[in-house]
Amino acid sequence: MDLVEIKFYAAAREAAGVPHVHVQPDSIEEIIASLIKSSGELARVLPQCSYLIDEVAVRDRSIQVKGGSRIDVLPQFAGG
Amino acid sequence: MLNEWCEITNLEISAAKLGEKVKSDKSGAVVTFSGDVRDIDSGRFVVSLTYEIHPSAKKVLDEIVTRALGSQKEVSIAVAHRFGLIPIGETAFAVAVASEHRREAFEMCSKIVDSVKSELPIWKHQKFSDGTSEWVNCA
Repeated sequence: MDLVEIKFYAAAREAAGVPHVHVQPDSIEEIIASLIKSSGELARVLPQCSYLIDEVAVRDRSIQVKGGSRIDVLPQFAGG
Repeated sequence: MLNEWCEITNLEISAAKLGEKVKSDKSGAVVTFSGDVRDIDSGRFVVSLTYEIHPSAKKVLDEIVTRALGSQKEVSIAVAHRFGLIPIGETAFAVAVASEHRREAFEMCSKIVDSVKSELPIWKHQKFSDGTSEWVNCA
């Protein structure tokens, strides 16, 4: 089965220690929960992040992420 | 006259140059904003500042400006945000708005600055003189 790619940006990448990981398809909620369990650093950063699935903003976290999709993990923006 | 112009670049930007882009014989007011890199943040000396962008940044910036402009065809807007390493004192973010009268230009400029701060997918990494560093808003 195709995996889901998770791409981390900025503070999330620093917390993860790698730019991306691959995980089994699941709901976005479950995927985030298992990442939080996997690392104290991610547990600190991920609750403040927003998420894109294949470039579309996630509103409903119960939705299932299909294999082959990409999730972008976006920390709180800091422009200007 | 140019109605809207947006740029995400790793080269130098300037509010004055954006002001030149938006002004025309119809504009009685040009308001510019320049967000510059300062050498101190919350009492700590900043030695370098680096912005990282998400690939969607240009599209999001275009949407912010188009939405802000709405049906106000008599207003012109130019916005630029720089990314990569930006030396202290240089401009990271610039906005220029031209309109017939000053009020619309002041209000539009302020609205664009607020929207970019809250919606543009871009992140700021600061290194301090004491050797520490942080991602702004993620401490």
